[in-house]
Amino acid sequence: MSDSKAMKKLEELGRGMVKQIDAGEGPTFETTLRTKSNTIYDEGYGCLRTGEKKETRKYLSVAQARTFMQTVAIAAKTKQFLAQDLHTSIRGLFYQLKFSLGENLDEDLFTEQSESNGLIEDLEVALKIKREDLHLTTDRKGFLAGNMKIRDKFGGEETIIDLAKQGRSGWSIPSDVDNGMEIESLEADYVLVVEKDALWQRLNEDKFWKEENCLLVTPKGQSTRGTRRLLRKLADKKLPVYCLMDCDAWGWYIYWTIKTGSMNLAYLGRDFAVPESRFIGVTMSDITEFSFLDKLTIKAKDVDIKRAEEMMSYPWINRHKDWVRELKLVLKTKKKIEQDALQGQRLTFVGEYIKQKIENKEWLS
Amino acid sequence: MEDDVFKQFREHSVAEFFKKNRQMLGFSGKVRSLTMIVHEFVTNGLDACEEAGILPEISVQVEELGKDHYKVTISDNGPGIPKSHLGKALGQMLAGTKFHRYIQQRGQQGIGAAACTMFSYITTGQSTKAITSHGGKKLTAIISMDFKKNKPIIEVTEETDTEEHGLTVISEYKDVRYERSNYGIFEYLRRTALANPHCTISLIEPNNEKTVFPRSVEINPKKAYEIKPHPLGIKPHDLLEFAKHSVENKRISSFLQNTFARVSAAKVEDLKSMLPEIDFNKRPDKMSWEDAEAIVGAIENVKWIAPSTDSLVPIGREQVEASFRNIFNPEVLVITQRSPKVYRGGIPFSVEVGIAYGGGVAAANKRGEVMRFANKVPLLFDAGGCAITETIKTIDWKRYNIRNFDEEPIAVLVNVVSVHVPYTSAGKQALSSEEDLMAEIKFAVMEASRGIQRFISGRKKANEIATKKKVVSRYIEQLSNDLASLTQRKPERIAKELREIVEEKYVDTKKESIKPPEKPKANEDESNESGEPDVNEGETNE
Repeated sequence: MSDSKAMKKLEELGRGMVKQIDAGEGPTFETTLRTKSNTIYDEGYGCLRTGEKKETRKYLSVAQARTFMQTVAIAAKTKQFLAQDLHTSIRGLFYQLKFSLGENLDEDLFTEQSESNGLIEDLEVALKIKREDLHLTTDRKGFLAGNMKIRDKFGGEETIIDLAKQGRSGWSIPSDVDNGMEIESLEADYVLVVEKDALWQRLNEDKFWKEENCLLVTPKGQSTRGTRRLLRKLADKKLPVYCLMDCDAWGWYIYWTIKTGSMNLAYLGRDFAVPESRFIGVTMSDITEFSFLDKLTIKAKDVDIKRAEEMMSYPWINRHKDWVRELKLVLKTKKKIEQDALQGQRLTFVGEYIKQKIENKEWLS
Repeated sequence: MEDDVFKQFREHSVAEFFKKNRQMLGFSGKVRSLTMIVHEFVTNGLDACEEAGILPEISVQVEELGKDHYKVTISDNGPGIPKSHLGKALGQMLAGTKFHRYIQQRGQQGIGAAACTMFSYITTGQSTKAITSHGGKKLTAIISMDFKKNKPIIEVTEETDTEEHGLTVISEYKDVRYERSNYGIFEYLRRTALANPHCTISLIEPNNEKTVFPRSVEINPKKAYEIKPHPLGIKPHDLLEFAKHSVENKRISSFLQNTFARVSAAKVEDLKSMLPEIDFNKRPDKMSWEDAEAIVGAIENVKWIAPSTDSLVPIGREQVEASFRNIFNPEVLVITQRSPKVYRGGIPFSVEVGIAYGGGVAAANKRGEVMRFANKVPLLFDAGGCAITETIKTIDWKRYNIRNFDEEPIAVLVNVVSVHVPYTSAGKQALSSEEDLMAEIKFAVMEASRGIQRFISGRKKANEIATKKKVVSRYIEQLSNDLASLTQRKPERIAKELREIVEEKYVDTKKESIKPPEKPKANEDESNESGEPDVNEGETNE
């Protein structure tokens, strides 16, 4: 979304409230309810999104007066960021807004950063806008290497970044991949997402992405919004997205967040979900295929078992028979496998494993 | 009870008896004795004024003459006492105008003034001085009494012409003490003023401090009129007393018809058929104790029409309100008046209750104060054994938003009026626990408490609204600034409009809620033909 459009949305929010005040009413704004009960699975698209239930935030409410004022303060402040073409983190915003409400009021506009998080989400939902559009950045975590060039307009300068020439470190995925950033050229055949940085470095050293002509991505654990958004954009370019995760609660969670989005950020909806992605490993069934892995399993923890049980109850997961089979196996064996175990026999086995999986289409949906 | 005692001591005069048993009249304890003396003269003065249609003005002065030794001067502007009655009124026990009348009066039994004369004489050896202005004559008299004969001794020292009327009694007492406590004269007069808003009462205390409780209404209360007693509620000794004084009736049958209400010839026939052994044709004064007992027993088995109740004169809603405002000026005041009921099946009574909360009650440092009255006379003593106190103890105050009755600024006035108040003793300071009476007191207090509850919860709500308003007002400035930067509108204008909206939405309803609640209409037009205590809907589930 362009800065001018975002700014217009903020101004519309303000004008709506002033109109209410002119009419002698307390100002309000409408947002979508972001609760578990209003989270639905969109079957047509294959992602989690918020339902239709709306909620009205009111200034003339003892419980909401302060947060309402804070939300409007965030809107006003981000309008200023847009006008100045400056970006900042949520933390930076918090410090911008951490000031006293006046000498006669012994109270700060914000006292904790945690106060602002939910309010930013409110704004995003109410304005149908992403926080990145409001020049709010999030921490970067993901890395990418591969045959792709990026045109990056930033700080009044424009650079072409060749992601095939980032050496051992790779390209750090920015928090906003929509504004001021374009894909200049893309020659890769698919995207490979590996959970851990260690494995990314393994595959980078092995020149895996060069051999395979893929984009090698690691979210380094749970994906940031920027990484998820980038994966969505790459999927839109018709690139298959394959994921290699641990065979445990955390690995599954990271995968499903990429695929369907998470409950917490369900309001982001389809722009952040990649339903086309595939889970190539590691799976419990791999033990039969690769016998050396049998010795490299770890005892599953309670959290893993509980997570597996939970997943079997989610309609967007238990509709996939292959996943039900896999999870039942986990519950039966009470074991888990880390992706690092693939290096157990030979360091360079990882690449072979991935190639075989993709070639034989051995994946979970 | 005193009558039973009279029988045992028949060989002594009544005066002689009380000389030995003065605590039975309330002369026990030094502070109490002094309050009782003032009480006797003040109630006599008020009754006399009201009967004569005069707005009462009573002044009391207490002077300290020595240790536990006081001079008491009490004046009223009543009709005064004629010379012929002076001695009997002030020097003869049981000789007043009240004893044999079935009428709502303060004193009920004319034992008071003479008892004071006696008490003065036996503690100081001094006679009582009376100055009475009546029928154009003002006379000063010294009154003492012959205890053995229960006969007054009067010595008129001065007699002049006057156009005034009134009575002043000056007497000295020892073995008494002045104190400004809950049992003292000050409190007694304050409460008397509260229950008698048509009178002005002044007091000069031994330290020369003068207090005036001015009247708050300018009309005398409706006159109570005498009614015939109802047969239900009569006890054998009452029947004998009435029979002894019934000179105009030649037969017991006509005596019963003429003396009591609701006794028809047919009812006498009913009694006769139930009591064949009694000769209803014999003279009433020949009635024996056994006859009286048998007749009273038979009376209880006859179906009677309930007595008329319109002889009762409560203080009145407006009057209680005026005097409460005058004396307490509370934040809220709720008054309940119950329609008349009967106890013991035959004695009419009615209960009125005023509850004052906050404001002047708090300022006067009164907490959980119960003010008992019988026929508008304050009852200061013997609270523990009184039906009013007992009943109030059973009220669950928490239900009425009063967390701790004894610590809240609340004052409860309970006035029981009756042609025959059921006192527990001749001291007349406590009501006996008549079931019907207690039920009525309870209903009246509960009804008034509901009004207080509405007020307290209304005030709570007003406080909540004020708090809400404060919270919402707090952020107007910041919100207006931010809205201004989103819209290019002037922040001052947004803030002004927002403030107006907040003012309108969070209206202070407090002013509205301190109005005393409207009187419930439910029991205004109850007639009491059934003789049963009426129970209003909703009150039985307490």
